Amino acid sequence: MAEFRLPANSRIRTGVTHEAPPGAREVRKFRIYRFDPASGENPRLDTFELDAADCGPMVLDALIRIKDSVDSSLTFRRSCREGICGSCAMNIDGVNRLACTTSLHDLGREIRIYPLPHMPVVKDLVADLTQFYAQYASVKPWLQAQSPAPPDSERLQSKEEQERIDRPAACILCACCSTACPSYWWNSDRYLGPAALLAAYRWIIDSRDEATGERLDALEDPFKLYRCHTIMNCTDVCPKDLNPAKAIAEIKKMLVQRQN
Amino acid sequence: MTPAERPLSPFQLGSIYKLQLTSVLSFSHRATGVGLSVGTVFLVWWLVAAASGDDAFAAAQWFFGSWLGLLLLLGWCFAFFFHLCNGIRHLFWDAGLGFELRTAYASGWTVVAASGVLTAIAFAAGLLVRG
Repeated sequence: MAEFRLPANSRIRTGVTHEAPPGAREVRKFRIYRFDPASGENPRLDTFELDAADCGPMVLDALIRIKDSVDSSLTFRRSCREGICGSCAMNIDGVNRLACTTSLHDLGREIRIYPLPHMPVVKDLVADLTQFYAQYASVKPWLQAQSPAPPDSERLQSKEEQERIDRPAACILCACCSTACPSYWWNSDRYLGPAALLAAYRWIIDSRDEATGERLDALEDPFKLYRCHTIMNCTDVCPKDLNPAKAIAEIKKMLVQRQN
Repeated sequence: MTPAERPLSPFQLGSIYKLQLTSVLSFSHRATGVGLSVGTVFLVWWLVAAASGDDAFAAAQWFFGSWLGLLLLLGWCFAFFFHLCNGIRHLFWDAGLGFELRTAYASGWTVVAASGVLTAIAFAAGLLVRG
């Protein structure tokens, strides 16, 4: 059932303000969601004033700057800082994006940062992705084949066959798409979400995979697949410009076509 | 802290997550669908009134001619055309067409414009016929 309010333990309190250092030239305000599981208190929204002139160009640079010089307890995931690991996905100014590829220049003077929407929060900007990963694993994201591989070569594909899976295979599992999907917010216990379905599609259309029928059988379910109502927030938000909405539509088409 | 005890991260459309054309049109599609269902009850009332006799029909006509009735009719008129146009958009999607982001935005704005224009035409025509 769609709920529109946060549960009592999740409502956000006003937090503390860390003022800009004296002599700051280009003050930017970061309003950041904080939650400390050890405190027993509700989450709060802290304000950090930062001198953008004294900071790298990306949102991730600002977060690292805050952690280094203002509040070392600020917690977030990050790794590659070049948009390929998918760790630093978060809700930045109302849209899910990667902190490392989002430029401060494209945002206003005041920047709101929350964890990925409608997820259990472990600490601060770190969302619990256990279920998201379990859903990914449930689509069996690996090659399934009965026939043995050629003894003297790999399982080969034509250039065209490879190009079909090029884009869907470029997913970095950052969870921006699934957590931008209102349908996933309200049915994530049963709806697989755009990221897992894009992965399912990637294996369904793989010319080397021989479990296409079983993969489609597994998805023929009112909730796992059909909670997608083509809202298209997923495609709108993907930092890799992939198209989960189209992949889901193609799966739906295949399910209809195989009935004939 | 068990996963069940963890707070839920904020998600509310508008205040936390930006309203985008994609989500707004999707919610509007559902809202207009609900609105049309309610409107059908009123349509049935109007038909039953027409079949019951002059007094009942006059009462129904009075209601639909009042400012509240006209406002509701305008709302249902828009809901009808929006649901129709966006339904056609969904038919293209069901065929696997129009999924590129630019196309989806273009078709979305087209639906908004078309339902506005069609509502204006239909409502104006209705008022003219009524005299």
